[in-house]
Amino acid sequence: MQKYEKLEKIGEGTYGTVFKAKNKETHEIVALKRVRLDDDDEGVPSSALREICLLKELKHKNIVRLYDVLHSEKKLTLVFEHCDQDLKKYFDSLNGEIDLDVVKSFMYQLLRGLAFCHSHNVLHRDLKPQNLLINKNGELKLADFGLARAFGIPVKCYSAEVVTLWYRPPDVLFGAKLYTTSIDMWSAGCIFAELANSGRPLFPGSDVDDQLKRIFKLLGTPNEDTWPGVTQLPDYKPLPVYQPSLGLAQVVPRLPARGRDLLARLLTCNPALRMPADDAMAHAYFHDLNPSVKNDRC
Amino acid sequence: MAGNFWQSSHHQQWLLDKTDLIRDRQHDLNILTEEEYQKIFNFFASIIQALGEQLKVRQQVIATATVYFKRFYARNSLKCIDPLLLAPTCVFLASKVEEFGVISNSRVMTTCQTVIKTKFGYAYGQQEFPYRSNHILECEFYLLENLDCCLIVYQPYRPLLLFVQDMGQDDQLLTYAWRIVNDSLRTDVSLLYPPYQIAIAALHIACVMLGNESQKSWFAELNVDMDKIQEIVRAIINLYEMWKSYDEKKEIQGLLAKMPKPKPAPQR
Repeated sequence: MQKYEKLEKIGEGTYGTVFKAKNKETHEIVALKRVRLDDDDEGVPSSALREICLLKELKHKNIVRLYDVLHSEKKLTLVFEHCDQDLKKYFDSLNGEIDLDVVKSFMYQLLRGLAFCHSHNVLHRDLKPQNLLINKNGELKLADFGLARAFGIPVKCYSAEVVTLWYRPPDVLFGAKLYTTSIDMWSAGCIFAELANSGRPLFPGSDVDDQLKRIFKLLGTPNEDTWPGVTQLPDYKPLPVYQPSLGLAQVVPRLPARGRDLLARLLTCNPALRMPADDAMAHAYFHDLNPSVKNDRC
Repeated sequence: MAGNFWQSSHHQQWLLDKTDLIRDRQHDLNILTEEEYQKIFNFFASIIQALGEQLKVRQQVIATATVYFKRFYARNSLKCIDPLLLAPTCVFLASKVEEFGVISNSRVMTTCQTVIKTKFGYAYGQQEFPYRSNHILECEFYLLENLDCCLIVYQPYRPLLLFVQDMGQDDQLLTYAWRIVNDSLRTDVSLLYPPYQIAIAALHIACVMLGNESQKSWFAELNVDMDKIQEIVRAIINLYEMWKSYDEKKEIQGLLAKMPKPKPAPQR
């Protein structure tokens, strides 16, 4: 631990506090994530282990790098690549509307990181702007893989703060237990709309019912015809029948037609029909993507 | 996680070179002969297997725990940590990583006490399991660090299933080969060769044992380095040869007494 000088607290992660710090020898700035070891019976928490083993295997330029794991007495510290801000803070710092080329670049990088995870059979399961890190070069990186595990998604995280519902797909809200890569694709869709609207969340629901109603008001309430099996989901409940409303043009007015088409394919209630990450990367919306973003090899 | 083996830490960091491995063991091999060293590892693999079975974890968890154990001592002398402490710690860590679900530390402790007393009395006599849960927690840190946090281990079981399917073979061949893969955990092959090669070698031995000639063309058509397969086969056959003339119940106390140990011994 003497190797690093703590600079400031950045935030609270799923299982511990995150600090910005400087490597005293190389002067490199890193993020230190302190793992709390509250439960003596569990040892190193499985959420931390999960993140450690996944990040050890997933080396990609759109996924945050884990440099090192330090241990001392009764503490475990993960040393991560430091990024200047997360997407939430980026939104907060915007003056006026976001540049549409930036939307395209961020979205492409998000999909590329996801495609890589999914090709390794890893689901992120907790995508939200706070978990997407942005550095000075406009690179976007997926972070916080603490929930990327197979035991369902807890509703509360360590600090007793409720995990946000805003980016959860309707199948998960209806209690689906079998998660697939489609869970991340829904979240990517919500984030896409939020990007296009300069940081205004698409479905800021207050509870599960409100969340579902907000989704169905826009996309129409699903039924056995549009989504076979929906009524069999564990927590399925009949909700008011909304017809697909507005159309996306009013929801994301600044997004061009191709972008709206991609958004519609991601925000598909039936998870079986939701577009996967590699297909989304090949979508016509990205045909005029800045080549320096596309060709960047990891 | 069933990701990509070729890009994995297993492939990139943890397929070791045989000469390096022997050099790194030099300290222990000044005290023990190579055969004695192998017998000690054989014994602790049995302890890991027994703990895993008692805790009712899948064979995958047991295999991963055994590989952690071997990786640790590939870089460290036996005197760094008492293997009797490291063995349950490996099971504890592997059960979390393999998503078996968390086995509480206290359950690991009681299982250790039971298993050592009921199954390994021939080695430890009337001795109780000498460690407590805080030792395991501390040891888990140490293990994580020494594994360089590379926790995902690829095992030969999945490729084995695929190969047997491809051969269009019956369950008998699979059963034999599966057992041979389990036995291979008592050799160094998991440190030296990729899992698919170990699976092929196990199939090869199983075919010979069963007198199954029909698969010769299957092996001939494989695009693999047959020299490597032969090396693995030899390592496993050597193990079987060693077992023929080895009575663990008689020899193990002497071997454990001779084994390099940490100082000071843990407090009871």
